[in-house]
Amino acid sequence: MEANRTQGFHARPYYRKKICRFCADKNLVIDYKRPEILRNFITERGKIIPSRISGTCAKHQRMLAREIKKARIMALLPFTVY
Amino acid sequence: MKYYETLYLIRPDLEVEDYKGVIEKYHKIIEANNGVIINVDEWGKRSLAYNVERFRDGFYVLVRFCGEPDLPDKLLKDFRLDESVLKYIVVKLKDSVDPEELKQGDTSSASEANKKEEVKAKDGSK
Repeated sequence: MEANRTQGFHARPYYRKKICRFCADKNLVIDYKRPEILRNFITERGKIIPSRISGTCAKHQRMLAREIKKARIMALLPFTVY
Repeated sequence: MKYYETLYLIRPDLEVEDYKGVIEKYHKIIEANNGVIINVDEWGKRSLAYNVERFRDGFYVLVRFCGEPDLPDKLLKDFRLDESVLKYIVVKLKDSVDPEELKQGDTSSASEANKKEEVKAKDGSK
């Protein structure tokens, strides 16, 4: 990556390094009772956004998926939006 | 004793007394089975993410309590049979806690909730 960028002409498109929002902000909790936070991590259709896209670390992604599913059971988040 | 919380959704078409009655009923079940209620948080009427039995909204009630491991089963049994409860969930928050200690720490339900969430966040950083 670094080498490519210094060559200028052959530079690959610029990537912003993704960081896990939950590691960066300790006050951001993953809790099924806080759907307003979880909503940032689902698509308009209600799907869970993969960590590949959101940059969430594996540990927090697991917690996130679990809590989103609980929130769906409680009708705080949708299963689907059509 | 273990520390649990339950969140349940009460149908929106009940009279105020009936609504209170439902909450009272579950408090009694907890207390009748040697449980200790730590705090109760009524969220009030909220709109739902999807329709449940054709209802678009409902009353959420969050109860934190301590009890023996057989208590959640008893609660769930009643939730299942109760037509005024649309949705329910019981979550274990902690193993082996002292209910008196929790009660003392709980001056206001909001600060208690924040404290617990901080603990959760700390665990995540390890």
